[in-house]
Amino acid sequence: MKKRLVSILMSSVMVVGTLAACGGTEAGTTTQVEVTDDQGNTTTVEVKDTATGDVTEEGKYEVKDLHIVVDGTLTANVDNGQEAFIEQWEAAVSEKVGHEVKLTIDQLDHSDYAATVQRYLTTGTVGDGQFPDALIMSAGMFREYQTTGLLWDMAAAYDKAEFQARVTLPEVNLGIRTKDGKQYGFAPTYGNGCVSYVKASWFNQYVASDANTDGVKTIEDVDTYEKYYNMLKFFSNINGDNKTYGVIAAGFGKLDEAPFINYMPEFWQGAYPSFYQKDGVWVDGFQEQATIDALDRLAQAYADGLIDPDTEEASTKDAREKFFSNDQSTSEGVFTYWAGTWLRTLTDNMGKNDVDNELADERLLQLPPIKEITDTWGGYINREAPVWVITDDGDDNSLREQAIFDTLFETMLDGDKVQTLWTYGAEDVHWSTKAESFTTNPDDPEKKKDYEYADGVFHLKQSPNDPNAVWKKNHLDPVLVIAPLTNGFVDDDPLVTKGNQFFTAHCVDAPVAASSETLTAEQSGLKDLKTTLMNKVVTGEMSGADAVQSYIDEKGAIVDTILGELNAQ
Amino acid sequence: MAENIEIKQAPEREAPRKESPEKEAEVKAKAPRIHTIEKKRSKIKIFDVVNYIVFGLLTLIIIFPIWKVICDSFNAVGVYQFKLWPTQPTIGGYATILKTAKLFRPLLNSFITTICGTLLGLVMATLGGYVLNQYEMPGRTFLSYFLLVTMIFSGGMIPEYLVMKKLGLVNNMWILVFKHGMNVYNLVLMKNFFEGIPASLYEAAKLDGCSPMQIFYKIVLPLSKAALASIGLMFAVTVWNDYSTVQIYITNRSQVNFQYMLRVMVMDGDTPTTSYKVSQSTLYYSGIVCAILPFMLAYPFLQKYFVTGVNVGAVKE
Amino acid sequence: MAKDVEEKTSSIKIQKKPLRLRIWNNRGFYLMFIPVFIFVLIMHYWPMLGVRYAFFSSKMVPGGGIKWTWVGAQHFINMFKEREFWMAFKNTLIISVVKLLLNTFVAVLISIFLNEMTSLVCKKFVQTVIYLPHFMSYAVVAAIFTLFLSPSSTGMINETLKDWGWIDKSIDFLHISSMWRPVFYIINLWKETGWGTVIFFATLSGISPELYEAAEIDGATRFQKMRYVTLPALSSTIIIVLILNLAKVLNIFEPVFVLYNNRVFDSSDVISTYVYRKTFMTAATDYGYSTAVGLFKSVVGCILMLGSNYASKKIRGRGII
Repeated sequence: MKKRLVSILMSSVMVVGTLAACGGTEAGTTTQVEVTDDQGNTTTVEVKDTATGDVTEEGKYEVKDLHIVVDGTLTANVDNGQEAFIEQWEAAVSEKVGHEVKLTIDQLDHSDYAATVQRYLTTGTVGDGQFPDALIMSAGMFREYQTTGLLWDMAAAYDKAEFQARVTLPEVNLGIRTKDGKQYGFAPTYGNGCVSYVKASWFNQYVASDANTDGVKTIEDVDTYEKYYNMLKFFSNINGDNKTYGVIAAGFGKLDEAPFINYMPEFWQGAYPSFYQKDGVWVDGFQEQATIDALDRLAQAYADGLIDPDTEEASTKDAREKFFSNDQSTSEGVFTYWAGTWLRTLTDNMGKNDVDNELADERLLQLPPIKEITDTWGGYINREAPVWVITDDGDDNSLREQAIFDTLFETMLDGDKVQTLWTYGAEDVHWSTKAESFTTNPDDPEKKKDYEYADGVFHLKQSPNDPNAVWKKNHLDPVLVIAPLTNGFVDDDPLVTKGNQFFTAHCVDAPVAASSETLTAEQSGLKDLKTTLMNKVVTGEMSGADAVQSYIDEKGAIVDTILGELNAQ
Repeated sequence: MAENIEIKQAPEREAPRKESPEKEAEVKAKAPRIHTIEKKRSKIKIFDVVNYIVFGLLTLIIIFPIWKVICDSFNAVGVYQFKLWPTQPTIGGYATILKTAKLFRPLLNSFITTICGTLLGLVMATLGGYVLNQYEMPGRTFLSYFLLVTMIFSGGMIPEYLVMKKLGLVNNMWILVFKHGMNVYNLVLMKNFFEGIPASLYEAAKLDGCSPMQIFYKIVLPLSKAALASIGLMFAVTVWNDYSTVQIYITNRSQVNFQYMLRVMVMDGDTPTTSYKVSQSTLYYSGIVCAILPFMLAYPFLQKYFVTGVNVGAVKE
Repeated sequence: MAKDVEEKTSSIKIQKKPLRLRIWNNRGFYLMFIPVFIFVLIMHYWPMLGVRYAFFSSKMVPGGGIKWTWVGAQHFINMFKEREFWMAFKNTLIISVVKLLLNTFVAVLISIFLNEMTSLVCKKFVQTVIYLPHFMSYAVVAAIFTLFLSPSSTGMINETLKDWGWIDKSIDFLHISSMWRPVFYIINLWKETGWGTVIFFATLSGISPELYEAAEIDGATRFQKMRYVTLPALSSTIIIVLILNLAKVLNIFEPVFVLYNNRVFDSSDVISTYVYRKTFMTAATDYGYSTAVGLFKSVVGCILMLGSNYASKKIRGRGII
């Protein structure tokens, strides 16, 4: 026994000893500074050495390694010619800034984007190879982070940027600024929003059916909730076997990302299940009657089998795959999704799966906002644009940050070479101006399409990973970008133009997202709870009123604190 | 284990079984003396029939999902009914997976990490097990406790994450190798195997002037091939099937393993764009089959080793 | 293991040489242990230092990194006040214990009845099949069952049940609080029970055939043999399996993580998933808090481990560690 005690004692001593040694190495690249605050608490602050670039003798900072974190909106992903994109970007930018720049792109999964970014920002340090120098944030995420001091205020840099002269849509970035004129993000494009797409073949079947169609003849006639509901009802049993559904989306609502109601807008109508300004005063829309009604409407439709149950867990990709699936017998008639380019993408994907081939580009109809939406919001919601942000390295000067701005953002909107990269992708990989001809679907006489271009004509090529589809765009949407291309490269796809025109005619701007310290801390708890409650209501586990009540019971006090902070701003 | 079963089963097999009903009746009528035994026998038969039926059903329950997955992976359209054969046979799903860098790379990563992880695990387990088997070595108890503490206590998610970050293992597929490098349970199994090697062999080698290291690779390792195989398989299964480590530590798509990709594919619907005419569910199921294929193929041949590993632990218990 | 040590060391006491000489004689072994020692130190002991964060509060700082501020036991106080935490704690115990008992019970049943099977080929075949799901990862199993159990018209099980006229409306198996746990247990039974029988078979193969012969001579029926010969032989193994696993009940993570969702948190959220969400899924999170929860889990797990070690010593004369 004694022997064992000695052993244990020895082991603990040794372990602690060795660990202390290990612990010492923790401070390898950082300097630890002990700070005692007014309460007498001792704090250890780790001060980091930055290492992504060098300060040259003239006091100018050169970005040598640029590490950016992006989401799926950079469509030139690793399977789609990202390598060529990086190569051409590096070449073009190095030439522009006058020294070699290496670009590293870290493209994350959409579902875990926010959590992963947070992990990078907290556990990393500038220059460790993973810490992002610049990254994309959704509007909601951006509002959470802008109060943390992690982001760099780029107001001055933005104002004196070269691309200012070409900016045609200045409102977007001015809207991002805080009351005291700080700008922590940069939006290269307008926000865009979602439109409800209706399968034309299904709609035609509805119009021609014996069912009571309320006298609907064209898609414009579906102008009230009642008529919409009626149409969905028909869709949910279009083959007489109840295996189809009226509508699908990536969630009954998207309560974790502003503007929250762009999926299923016909059901949400005038509701806004988050903080927004009503007549100049911040209120919590989730507690309002409008939200309760919207939830009950969704629940009713779910119970009637109009909403595909997969909606609850479907990601955007899931939902759209199901919508244009080659198995239409379990599909849906309506899908609310992004306007413009996506009209083309959805149509093409239906074509790829041989859905409604005879309709060609007329496969999808765009449903104008119903009366209940126009009466409240005025149209489909145009979300706040996602932004690019630059991380602050915490030192007093802005050398590094300004250099990142110049290397990345300034070139992104140069109107020329680099902007084309961001807009259409890499030359001769995604697009080309050389003479060429190609054929998509060469083996299928019905869908076969020939493309022929003369030398010097800008055109998009076949997708790198799918020779049967034509490439669409890269990160920047040429229609939404705040400063247009000056080299005259346009992809005049009539379908995309049609989609964009439709959305512009039927949209309103989303309410400004809230931003406060308590909100940042509590945001994810609120989002989780609201999503859980929404799902429970829609699937019939509880009523809308009960859900809002339990929300108030659990988070009421926190919500009041947040509203207090917001209204004091 | 198989041998053991046979030995035990032998007497039972000798007993006469399953006589035809006519003969039974005949025997019954002729000799009322053995009536009771006969009755028991017919009972046995009912029991056997029921037993076979129950186990037949059980095997069906186990096999059915696997079969359905395999069959749907060869089916170009999603079939959501009780159909047990592909309606539109295709291999487009598999072709897509092999052609898509996004999916092929993780598959490759899985193979690399599994092989390296198994090797590292085996090295650690054999070295540790061998040393802990040296009962006259001073400090042996300390070393045992040193290892055992790690079984009971761990730093927790964030402390581990921060350390891995410092070691450069975050966003790095080698974490899959190092994370499973030390498995104390397997180490103890290994030690148990080594205990079975006759001490006289050690003594002889020692007299011949072999160093511990020489004894280790000249005598101990060659004698433990079965143990190495079964414990190696345990490591391989663990590393290949690990999903949560990737979920926590790796976000870079070029570093993830196939289990993670599969999860993302099925849960987020993040299937690759394909030039084949296959439904999304075909891709899901092809992915699932790829994830289970290596062990499904190896399993029938290696079952013996899988089972011995557990049994050594059991015997020691 | 510790017990073996004592026995062996006491037996060689007589020929004990000076400590220094013994260390020198064993120098080769020490050298061989060095890689293991260093590896364990770095991979396992270094993170343990991090439990100190349980008494700190974390804050993000510009340029990356974390600022730790001493808060004492504040996190533990908050934790014990948190409804979600207690829910997770309760769920962990219920889910792990029920899963353990259920799996063991079914594994014992299967072993006993399969042992009665006379055809060796069939027996071998059944064994091969029922071990199979063990080699599939939880991610795969979850993927299969999520697809099969989907409430949409793409869910094979719901559609089949509807075709057979057993139900008229799809059942959302994985999203209803009251359904989730039973479905979880069944999926786990499917995956792990077969493998669980391995250890019982090992025990069964050790039963002397004479016992059965003796029972037969005494006129025991088949069931009586199973009841009075097979089952008692298994009892100590059953207890060992239960004890061994009891020590690990708090560690359950992956099986739950791959199958749960936000609508069934009330019945499915376990401590590890709670810690995971608090750590990695929450923006502006306090790492100190999740470390504190992790520490609490470790401490309780430690107590359970020592408890089962004690129980094991009482019952079978040797500990599990």
